[in-house]
Amino acid sequence: METPRLLLALSTAAFTGAVVQAVLALRAGRWRESRWHLVPMALGFIFQCAFLYLRGQEHGRCPLTNQFEIFIFIGWSIMLLYFLVGAAYRLSLLGVFTAPLLAILQTLALLSPLDQAAKPARGAVNAWLELHASVALIAYAAFALACITGVMFLLQDRLLKRHRINALFHQLPPIHDLAKAITRMMLLGIVLLSIALAASFQINIPITNTKMLFAWGVWALYIVNLLLMWRRRISARQTAWLAIGSFGIVFISIWMISK
Amino acid sequence: MLLCLGVNHRTTPIELRERLAFADSKVPDAARAIKSLPGFGESVVLSTCNRVEIYTARAPADPASGFSSLTGYLAEHFDLTPEQSSALTSYHLSETDAARHLFRVVSGLDSMVLGETEIFGQVKAAYDTALKSGATGRDLNKLFQRAFSVGKLVRNETTIQRGSTSVGSVAVELAEKIFGDLRACHVLLIGAGEMSRVCAQSLLSRGAKSIFISNRHYERAAELAAEMKGTALHFDEWDKAVDDVDIVISSTSAPHFVVTPELIAPLMPKRRGRPLFIIDIAVPRDVDPRVNDIEEVYLYDVDALQGIADEGRRERQRSLAKCEEIIEEQLRKFGYAEDSPPSPPVLTHLPPQNLEP
Repeated sequence: METPRLLLALSTAAFTGAVVQAVLALRAGRWRESRWHLVPMALGFIFQCAFLYLRGQEHGRCPLTNQFEIFIFIGWSIMLLYFLVGAAYRLSLLGVFTAPLLAILQTLALLSPLDQAAKPARGAVNAWLELHASVALIAYAAFALACITGVMFLLQDRLLKRHRINALFHQLPPIHDLAKAITRMMLLGIVLLSIALAASFQINIPITNTKMLFAWGVWALYIVNLLLMWRRRISARQTAWLAIGSFGIVFISIWMISK
Repeated sequence: MLLCLGVNHRTTPIELRERLAFADSKVPDAARAIKSLPGFGESVVLSTCNRVEIYTARAPADPASGFSSLTGYLAEHFDLTPEQSSALTSYHLSETDAARHLFRVVSGLDSMVLGETEIFGQVKAAYDTALKSGATGRDLNKLFQRAFSVGKLVRNETTIQRGSTSVGSVAVELAEKIFGDLRACHVLLIGAGEMSRVCAQSLLSRGAKSIFISNRHYERAAELAAEMKGTALHFDEWDKAVDDVDIVISSTSAPHFVVTPELIAPLMPKRRGRPLFIIDIAVPRDVDPRVNDIEEVYLYDVDALQGIADEGRRERQRSLAKCEEIIEEQLRKFGYAEDSPPSPPVLTHLPPQNLEP
């Protein structure tokens, strides 16, 4: 196995280890918020960084040359935001819900024939294009975290409504904090995507219509979501569903467009 | 020789415990005085509302004479007559039993509420006081440091402190799982029953910002409001306050539903996403159960709260055996190879008049 793929396999193993450790602890009722839980997540992130660095060196540009790399870059962005935002919101268990998404994403990427040879770069590397693509993918990672937080909200809402006070209930964050985190994560995604779209006006090489239409479509979708939330037209539960559904649309669209 | 002499909530009624409690300011002197008793080398005095215990190390080799000296000290300190002194029944534990007892106390296994955490801090404070007053030495320092590690281990490795065990603490736990920080929360009491007062007190003790109290008899509401530093409302005004509050505790004696979906549903959009936690303590119930179907409203009646508290107690009981295992293992590691079973608590209830001066 070539070194970058080996690094990715190690990263996937670290995330899988984080999931297994958390599930076993939760089942045994022994889960405690601890910095030790960050260790496998940090290891996975370090291996992701190493993978992307090697690929970047290989291509001489941001490693977003095929669907495989795009998914890994989104996974890396999710982890980046997890470390930046997760601590700020003190959302316990966010890692437990983030790790399986990354483990699945990277396992699928490793097993599928997505890792095709990079297309030759069209002329010199364009800084605005690199900025546009990378910031857009980090924005999608913010939407992914909003989606994960939405799942946590729906679980906690269900447990509270049904009076099911179990180990999971004790570990999930307060429902009001989760509702606020979904909104903030979506807002962060919109800001980042707006920056990415603004950068696209500076690109002097043509980008395919499908990709631009897709980016603007996602931006419009989340702007509508935000307006609905801001005008209080929807409840917190509907917001959570919207965060999950919208990211589902984004994920499928990325899959289809980057093919 | 390690000795522990004590009385606690199981052995001694409160009338006697309060007679034997050491004032905080007297504890350092007491620890030093015990240390200076003939034959004693170290001491720690633990005095809480549920127990008074004296731990000594480098004590006389004959435990009986050591306990006799300690009882004599207590009699002198608290000015007990010989009759009161002889009627005083305390537990006398030495070596492994004393160490085991301390480990159980620190872990909350000997507390009135199984697994409570406050005792850990109380033992730590008692030890710190003795340490600063120079009453401890190598043996008790080692024992207490180990006891604190065991206490942490028991709490981390088991579910002994998981869940809440009373209706008041369940209400607080649920409120914290809904709102996070309670410092911005406003509470409304509809009806001024004892149980709702307990719940409201628990919420206020955890930082709830303000309380409104509404009762059919306004005087009772005003009385309770004065006691809890809240605001009294006339009974026909409570529905106007729902807009501004986060937690509603209802306990009226009305034979019909007082809080209905028709009343709550139109209020929710005005709350701008703030959830509403409703606790219905009344029997017959005050709150229509359909209220729980409204989004962002969480309704708990007294059965639900009691059920959660019962489950919390069962959960703690289930983990008791695991806690005892950890303590026995730690005792062996600490050098107490003797594998004697834990002593059963002494259950003695002295008639209070025995200690009347």
